[in-house]
Amino acid sequence: MRNLAHLLETRQVSSREIVKHYLGEIKQQEPDLNAFITVDDVGALAQADAADMRRSQGNPLSPWDGIPIAVKDNISTKGLKTTCASRFLSNYKPLFDASVVRSLRDAGMPILGKTNLDEFAMGSSTEYSAYGVARNPHDRTRVSGGSSGGSAAAVAAGEAPWSLGTDTGGSIRQPASFCGVVGLKPTYGWVSRYGVVALAPSLDQVGPMARTVEDAAILFSLLAGPDPKDATSADARNFEVPFWDDQFVKDLKIGVPEEFFGEGLHPDVEKAVRRSLRTLEGQGATLVPISLATNDYAIDTYLTLVTAEASSSLARYDGVRYGERVHAADSNTMFSKSRAAGFGPEVKRRIMLGTYVLSASHYEAYYEQAQRVRTLIKLDVLDAFKQVDVIITPTTPTTAFTIGAKRNPLEMYLSDLFTAMANLSGIPALSVPCGTDPKGLPIGLQIMGSHFREELLFKVGYVVERSAAR
Amino acid sequence: MLRLIDRQEVIRMARLARLELSEAEVEQYQADLTNFLTSGKKLQKVDVSAVEGTSHAVSITHELRKDEVGSSLPREEVLSAGPETVDGFFKVPRIVEEQE
Repeated sequence: MRNLAHLLETRQVSSREIVKHYLGEIKQQEPDLNAFITVDDVGALAQADAADMRRSQGNPLSPWDGIPIAVKDNISTKGLKTTCASRFLSNYKPLFDASVVRSLRDAGMPILGKTNLDEFAMGSSTEYSAYGVARNPHDRTRVSGGSSGGSAAAVAAGEAPWSLGTDTGGSIRQPASFCGVVGLKPTYGWVSRYGVVALAPSLDQVGPMARTVEDAAILFSLLAGPDPKDATSADARNFEVPFWDDQFVKDLKIGVPEEFFGEGLHPDVEKAVRRSLRTLEGQGATLVPISLATNDYAIDTYLTLVTAEASSSLARYDGVRYGERVHAADSNTMFSKSRAAGFGPEVKRRIMLGTYVLSASHYEAYYEQAQRVRTLIKLDVLDAFKQVDVIITPTTPTTAFTIGAKRNPLEMYLSDLFTAMANLSGIPALSVPCGTDPKGLPIGLQIMGSHFREELLFKVGYVVERSAAR
Repeated sequence: MLRLIDRQEVIRMARLARLELSEAEVEQYQADLTNFLTSGKKLQKVDVSAVEGTSHAVSITHELRKDEVGSSLPREEVLSAGPETVDGFFKVPRIVEEQE
């Protein structure tokens, strides 16, 4: 991205030319990739022209002024359709920008369009999108992952230089891993959620997806910071892109949790991750075997909390103030019919499960129990960081699976086996490509750190990225 | 197959969630709820007596903002997003007495 910024700065290329290039890629690839739900050619070109005008007057808004981006379609964009991949919001145009979108606009970045996802970000493959699956650019018979599959596929296919995703249980990292791009789930609270359509408010975070670790760090530096409009935004500082050295590696203690290298992990994935670990060790890092035994409970805890929070978050879709309405003689029937027509099967399933665990007779046994197990998981994770600086694991147990392969919802939920822990404990986690399997499908490595240690994650990721490229 | 959850309970949940379900969906979610609760059983056995629940992963202190009037979205624009409006209000069908 620094190269592109330099070309713009020295007027060797215009923002219009860059945007036209990406719109051309989109036009050519979309018919079978389906990474976008909405493409905004007109808006993106107008924003590009405005950026070029600012450059010609010597007043760029930022070094990235004029570099375009793609935005996941559950993030509000003023006047630009935001469907959440749901029929319910098929014609919904937000009246305001999410704070993260505001940040992109303040940096002068044209928005190419809105990327595909599982409906309301519920899923791990984009197969639950009401607008069809976003395919994997490395093998179009396979999924791009999810829920931010469109954001990952668009970047991997060269339809956008970078993108925004959201991550509730792995929704940035798993598709990043499947598509061979870099994705960060930031520390809970460091990026504003204002204007981001809620799935599970205590777990959701917006994060950057990019082709390189440095690009992801640059994009993250634009997103991170407090926001008075988000009550859960941390009173955290801004984020500065780190200085890329590798001297720090010789003092680095890397935790390797045995639970993430056991049953269910594909040998190709294990091989690639272990090779990166050996490279880091060769540069002086110490590998420390650790145990994160509570990961055994992570998926069930996550599912209980995410369905409970989702059933509550989605109560707002009632066909009164926006969205699609099915007419009926009385309001209750209108709500029930509108919701039945607007939501897809996975969304209904999660609303049903969530309603069950929150209902008066089951609240204590399920929801409250899960909240307490969440505390145990968090303590387990934070305890590990007393011994080590970062924890490295595979991002996903396998490479991208075939479209239609996972018909059982419980099997689909296991996609988040290695990623949900970071959301439950609020820590940052970065997925970086670390190799490919014999079919040429990308493999991702996950680096976790304690709260607000994103800088260290990027620095470790940078070393992993370079060793994988060799 | 084992049915931990009976049909009536599924219908009750759907009513609470304001979701109209078809016969096939009731059947489906009855099975899904059962599978979900069976798979989540090990969670019930975890000893959590020593800890409180976590509702937010990062502890933060909420600060009240200053009580100042800020700008709001224009009323006409907000109303224009609604499926049906009348005289500056969102319009809904008649509201009958709750049956519960």
